[in-house]
Formats: sequence, C-alpha cells, structure tokens
Amino acid sequence: MPYKLILLLVVLLIVSGCNNEGRQQNYKIIYKGEGKQLIESDENSNQKFTIAVIPKVSGIPYFNMVEEGMKEAAKDLNVDLIFSGPLIADWKEQKKLVEKFIENDVDAIAISANDPEKLGSVLNSAKKQGIKIITWDSDTNKQYRQYFVNSVDPELLGRHVMDTLSANLNEEGKYAIITGSENAATVKEWTKWMLAQQQEKYPEMELIDVVESDDDPKKAYLLAKDMIKKHSDIKGIIGSTSVGPPSAAQAVMDANKKGEIQVVGLSSPNLLRQYIVNETIKIGTLWSPKKLGYLTVSITKEALLGNKIVDNMSIPNVGVIRLNGDSVIMGQPIDFTKENINQYDF
Amino acid sequence: MIFNNIITRKIKDTPLKIKLVITYILLTAIPMAIIGYITYKENTKAIEEQVGEYIPRLLHQANINIENELLQLNELPEAISNSSDIMAILRSNPYKDKSQYLKDQYTIESFLAKTYLDSKSSEIIGAFLLTNKGNYSSVKIPYTGFDLNKSKIPFGEMHELSGTSQIVLTNEITLSFQDNSNFILLVNEIKDVENRKSLGTLALAVKVSFIEDILKDIDKEEKATIWVMDQNGYIIFHPKESLIGTVDQEITSYPLVNGSFRTTYSNKKNILYSLNQSEENRWILVHSIPVQYLTERTDAVRNVTIIIFLLLIIATTILSVFTAWSVTKPLQTLSKVMKKVEKGNLHISIPPGNKDEVGVLADTFQSMLNQLRQLIKENYENELKQRDAKIYALQSQINPHFMYNTLETIGAVIEEEESELALEMVVILGEMLRYSLSEGKRLVPLQVEVKHIKNYLTLQKIRFEDRVNFFFEGEGLIGKYYSPKFIIQPIVENSFKYGMSSRKVLSISIKFEIQQNTLHITVSDNGPGIDNSRMVEIQQSLNETDYFSKESGLGLVNVNARIKMLFNENYGLSLQSEKGEGTTINISIPLIEGECLNKYQSLEER
Repeated sequence: MPYKLILLLVVLLIVSGCNNEGRQQNYKIIYKGEGKQLIESDENSNQKFTIAVIPKVSGIPYFNMVEEGMKEAAKDLNVDLIFSGPLIADWKEQKKLVEKFIENDVDAIAISANDPEKLGSVLNSAKKQGIKIITWDSDTNKQYRQYFVNSVDPELLGRHVMDTLSANLNEEGKYAIITGSENAATVKEWTKWMLAQQQEKYPEMELIDVVESDDDPKKAYLLAKDMIKKHSDIKGIIGSTSVGPPSAAQAVMDANKKGEIQVVGLSSPNLLRQYIVNETIKIGTLWSPKKLGYLTVSITKEALLGNKIVDNMSIPNVGVIRLNGDSVIMGQPIDFTKENINQYDF
Repeated sequence: MIFNNIITRKIKDTPLKIKLVITYILLTAIPMAIIGYITYKENTKAIEEQVGEYIPRLLHQANINIENELLQLNELPEAISNSSDIMAILRSNPYKDKSQYLKDQYTIESFLAKTYLDSKSSEIIGAFLLTNKGNYSSVKIPYTGFDLNKSKIPFGEMHELSGTSQIVLTNEITLSFQDNSNFILLVNEIKDVENRKSLGTLALAVKVSFIEDILKDIDKEEKATIWVMDQNGYIIFHPKESLIGTVDQEITSYPLVNGSFRTTYSNKKNILYSLNQSEENRWILVHSIPVQYLTERTDAVRNVTIIIFLLLIIATTILSVFTAWSVTKPLQTLSKVMKKVEKGNLHISIPPGNKDEVGVLADTFQSMLNQLRQLIKENYENELKQRDAKIYALQSQINPHFMYNTLETIGAVIEEEESELALEMVVILGEMLRYSLSEGKRLVPLQVEVKHIKNYLTLQKIRFEDRVNFFFEGEGLIGKYYSPKFIIQPIVENSFKYGMSSRKVLSISIKFEIQQNTLHITVSDNGPGIDNSRMVEIQQSLNETDYFSKESGLGLVNVNARIKMLFNENYGLSLQSEKGEGTTINISIPLIEGECLNKYQSLEER
C-alpha cells in the first residue's frame, strides 16, 4: 500500500510540474493595483451630449462669431450643438426657446439671458428635468444657473472702456452711452463700472445720457444721430454692445464731426475695421466671441461631465481662465487700434 | 499487511536507545524545522507583498510628477500666444519680400532661444516652430535628420491635434542631436485663440533626463532599476542609456500594468516587478528589483537561524543520546551482570546506580541474588558439610587402637584360659561391630546407644580391671527416646585417652536427665582435667559455626558439630574442667520420640 501511495504522489508531482511548464506562467501576481490593467484606450466617452445654446439675439455678427467658436468646440469635444436665438433681444422669445429645448430633452442649455429674473421659472423647470443651465455673455440671477461664462471681468472692462474714452477726451467733456437691452444684466454691470470709474477718476467729464439700442444697429444709429443733434457739445460716445460703436461712428461721420466726437466701446474688429482705418474710432475694445463660444461649450461639457471648474484652470484651445464665485472669466479684453486691427478676424 | 507487520516488528525490535533518539528528533527537530520553514516563507511573502503594494504607490506618485512636468512643458507654447510681437508676425499675411521674412525669422528664432532654451527648463535642447509661412528653429546642440516630409509631426494637418499636445518618441522621427541625447518631442499646436485659427506647430525637444530627476526622488533600493516605457514597450527612459529607444519585448507577457508581480523561476534570481501606468500618456513606469535583495535581511536571519537550529539539533541529539545512554547503560550493565550470574558467578555485586526505575530493578536483582546465594549456602553447603561429617563419623566409629587392644586383651584372656570371659568379650565386640556397621539410620534408640557404650566400657573394664570404674545414672528415663549414633563413645574415649595416662583409678559416670524438652547426657570423669589455655581453644572450637575446620579431628568437636547440624544451635556440647580434678561434659539433645523420628530421617536423606 505505501509503495503505491508514494508512487501515486510522485506521478502527481511530475504531472503537475509538466503542467506548470507547459503553461509558461512565469509571473506570480503579488499585488493588483486599482487602475486599469489592460493596455487599451478607454472608450468611456461614448455618451454624446446635446447642448442647446441660446444667444440674446440671432443674426448679428457678434453672435455669429460666437456660434462659429461653439461649432468648433462641439466638433473638438464631440458634442451635439443646437444654436438657436430669438429674432429680437427679448426674454419672452428666449423663454419659448427654453421650453422647446426642455421638450427636446437636451442635456444642457447655455443661454445669454435678456433678463436676469424673468427667465428664472422656465430655467428652474429645465433644471428639474435634469438639464444643466449655464449662462454666458449675459447672466441671470445666480440661483437659476450653475456657471456663468463671462468674457471679461465686468469691473475691469467697465473701467477700461472709460479709460480709453477719457484718454481720447483728455479727461474732460460731455459723453453719452449707448447700451443694449435695458434688462441685460451684464451690460448693466459694465455701465455701472464705467460710471464709477468716471466719477472716481475723471471728475471733469460729464455723462449726459444713457440710451438703449436693443442690439439693433438701425436703432443705435438713430439714437446716436439724435444725440449728436441734441447735444452740440458732446465729446464722446461709448457703445457698450457690439452694435453701438459702429453705428455711433457712422453717425459721427455722417454729421461730419470726425475728430470732434470720440467713439469707443465694445465691438468686434470686423465691424470696427472701416472706422478704425479711417480713424473715426481710435480704440475699440472686445474679446474674441469665437473664443467665448468655444469656452462656453467647453465649460458646459465640463459641467455635464460633473467636473469642477477651478480658478486658473487651463482650458484646451482657450487658455487659462479665472473663476470668481461661479463666474468663469475668459480673460483680458483686447484693444483694437489701427496697428493691430488686421490681426483679428471676427 | 505483511509489510506493515514487518515494519511494526522492526520498530519493536529496534534498540531502546535508537527508539529514544528517533522519538526525540521527531518531537523536537522536525517541528522546529517546519516552524522555521513556515516562518521564513511567510516572512518573505509578507515582505514581497509589502513592497509589492508600496512601490506601485510610489510609482503612481512619480507618474503623476512626470505627467505634471509634461503638463508644465506643454504649457510652454502659451508663451508664443502671449507674445504680441510673435503673434503679429504669425497672424500676418504671406510675405511679400525676402528681407521681411528674414527679419521675422530672426525675431522668432531669438524669441524661441530666449523663451525656451535659456529658461530654467534646461532639459529643452531644441525648439522648432513650423508654420504656414515658414519653419523656424533654435537649438542648443546641432541636429540632423529633421525631415519634415517623413516625420510624424502633423504639418499641414494641424487641426488633427485640436489643442491637445502630442508626445513624439525618438523612434518615430529621424531627428537626432549630435551628442546623441535621448529626448522626446513635445508637439503642440500654436492656436490663435482669438481668431480660432491654427498658426503652426511648436515642437520642443526635451531631454529625458528630466524623468531621471523625478525618479531620483523616489525612495528606492540601490539595486532597483526604474524605467519608463510607453504602452507599446518602447523605452523612453532607462538608467542604462543604451536601452533607451529599444522595445521591451516582454511587455506583452506582463500580467498587469498597475501593481506588482514577480518571476517564478526555480533558481534564486527572481525579480519583483512593480508597474504603474499613467492616466494621460499611458506611460508605464516599471520598478524592478531582484527579490533576493528585498529578502536580504530575512535571508541573513534565516542563515543564522539555520546555524542555530543545527547547533541546537546537534546539542539536543547529543543530549538525547546521552539521555538514552543513561537509561540504557544501567540496563546493559544489568544484563552483563545477569549473564555472569547465568554462567554461575553468584558472587557479583552490581555497582550502585540511580534510584530510578532501572536502579530499583538493579537493587531488586541484587537482593534476589543475595537471597539466592543465601539459600544455596544454607542448603547446598550444609549438605556437603553433613556429608563430610558423615564420612568422618564413619571413620571414627571403631578406633583401630581399641580393636587392637581389645583383641590383645582377648588373646591374654584366652592365654589365662578364661574361656568364658573371652567368649563374652568376643560377643561384646561382635555387638559393637554390628552396631557400628549398621547402615543408614542416623538416629537410633537411646537404649541401643547406651548398650553400645556399656559394651565399650565393659571391654575396657575387662582390660584395665580395677583401674576403671563406671556408673550409670537415670537409665530409666531413656526408654522411649532416640539419639544420634556415636555421640557418647568419642567422649568416653577421650576420658580414657587422658585418664589412663595417670596412675589413678579412672572413674567415669554417665548421667541422663530430662529438663523440659531437652535430654542432658553428662559424662564426668576424674581424669587430669584440661588446663586453661587448652580449655579456651576447645571452647572456641565448639562455638565456631564452621564446624569442621582444623579442629575437626577432635572427638568433642565432631560430636558437637553433628548435633548442632542435625538439630540446631541450642543443642550441643558444653564442658567444665579443672586441672587435676576431672572433666564434665554435658551433651544436650532434643527429646525425640518414635513418632517424630520421620522429621529427622527425612532431613538426613537429602
């Protein structure tokens, strides 16, 4: 009996030894890490988000540029983009659009709001549907959205624009402001800081009027023309939305007051180019609306992925952003002059 | 089963010493060895597991550091976006004339040199800016082989990069520097973020030595090797520079890329690998260390333990052998003694041993031996002595002198023609001879013995006539009692031997008395007596236990010895004598009646 047992054991050992060699299992795992073990690229981002973007108004060059940037980002980031704006800068129209997007069950809505408060209820109901709300360019009240993607710091922008005007006016004389919609919160903020800067630093200057163009070039032109007629001693006009400076410059040209009335403000290089080249406008200020569009989509996607936005974060193809509370600030404003206007194509 | 039986038998037949030693070793050495082995194995395993768990964490940290470093390097192209001069050149339309191009080339290349090559990141050895309008480069070390058409740098397809940076390894391009530095190429698109246009591509050649700096910080063993490879096994950095740029062929057989494993070669040269793959670039950081260095200390402890173990084994084996020896040695001694006893030597004493079981056995055997010797002495030696005494007694029954004297006397009587007397003497002599020749019976009726004495005395009276008188007293008491043969005659003979030497009339009286169970026979004479020194000698002889020594020739001693041997020490002879006055000898024997005769007869026949 014992002989047989020993024989059996020996046979078993030999057999198992053979098996081990046959399998060539040369490694013994001691510790398995938590990370992925297979050498392969992750295909986790199968999920394709749909982002709906609502500008203040459709059809104007500024928002067209924004749309371009957004499309680029949508392609880069692999998201579906629906860009749809109202024909007039009106919150009611925007509300309808939001309602439509809720029905379409989009993943996120990025809106440049025409009213900070009135869109609140519809945005809240969108939020209840699980739709992420991001505002950009023009904010709503904080409780209705997750992030606000702002192009520049409003205080900095407002003060800077006032500086460019006062530099051209030698810090004295009367001026007026052409804003966009009465209710657009961001523009209001800028105006506030412009006035603050003037009151603090340039006491010799005097504000004579603030008028609203509703982002309509024609209306802006008429308002400027009217103002130049009314106030013969007006020295400067600030356009705080993109339609403002070109319309004002045209009005100044038409009134043959080139050089007497200085026009500054926020508008895109493409709109300003002819006036800068013929020196009606010495300095125009803006940011890249394409970049803002790109950033908006990038931030929206980050929000959809649940990633946190932090201060000084580097966004691919945009650069380093700042975060103030839950307001994302894209960067510094760009000044356009006769020297550099040709570098910019928006 | 038969086999089993044989084994069992063999075990049973093994000497006790070997059994003890084997049992001891089984009980101590084997458990010790097993515990030692298990402890060592578990210890080694624990160290491996500890290191295997710890190193990947370090590697993970190092990987993060490398990625951070790369991330920082990837942020360098932003310097171009932030420089309005360079951006102005890059944004401008294609050149109209050559001088403008050369001026711009100078501006850009000096910018590259200032920004990238002179900066703190000394690992950057070359910066190449490739644009639609022209290519610009600035390097620290002369280079060759940067063939743009063949390289993988996506020139002309820049949108494919879409903002992410790309790392190009040296095996993918032909670029090489004169000092053969190992480097990686970080390729970044230069994007005009404002206009949303791609302006060109910036390629920075970075020495891999920056990885070395990061890995230096890892707390690692001296013998460990850490290298970096990409997910295809292409070695990006290795302490051995010649391996950089080669491909680790084993990568496909590695069982994991996050964690630790070790080779399972049968020889000692096993290697513990720890791996961690970075999340962004999917670079794999490999840490390899021969297992034996990890377990060096354990191995030292193991060796010391083995030595101690062996010493212990030797010590305990010696101890066990000694113990076994100390148990079996007395047994062996005992068995030797027993063999000697077996051969007949009863006069052996066992050397004193311990008071353990074996000692007790030895003692018991010793006392058994003593007992045996005692018994043999008591019976066997007694028998011999009795036989000697018997022969002596037979020899001394009829004195030839007496025969001769009696026959002389008978002759003289016949000469005087007293035929009656002669006849009587012949009859008496015949009776005496018959008595002495009567075989076998040692105990005879006392009357027969007395008759024999009377015959003797009668013959002596006839010979010596008036010089001899004899009297008997208490003859009526002896009727039914028995006595040994010839106990009175030697004493009476003695009286004649000494008494007839003087001129006096010899008077002999024989008296019988019974006191309790003892019969006293007192023979008194009026002979010359015994002087004191002689008396002392005789008394000594009588008191000796060795009955038949040198004095055995003496009749008195012979009788005394026979009585004592036949009965016991309480019986025998006693004598009193005074010089010139005579001698009195008292014989004491037990009262033996007919019915108890058998007891003594049987004793006699043994």
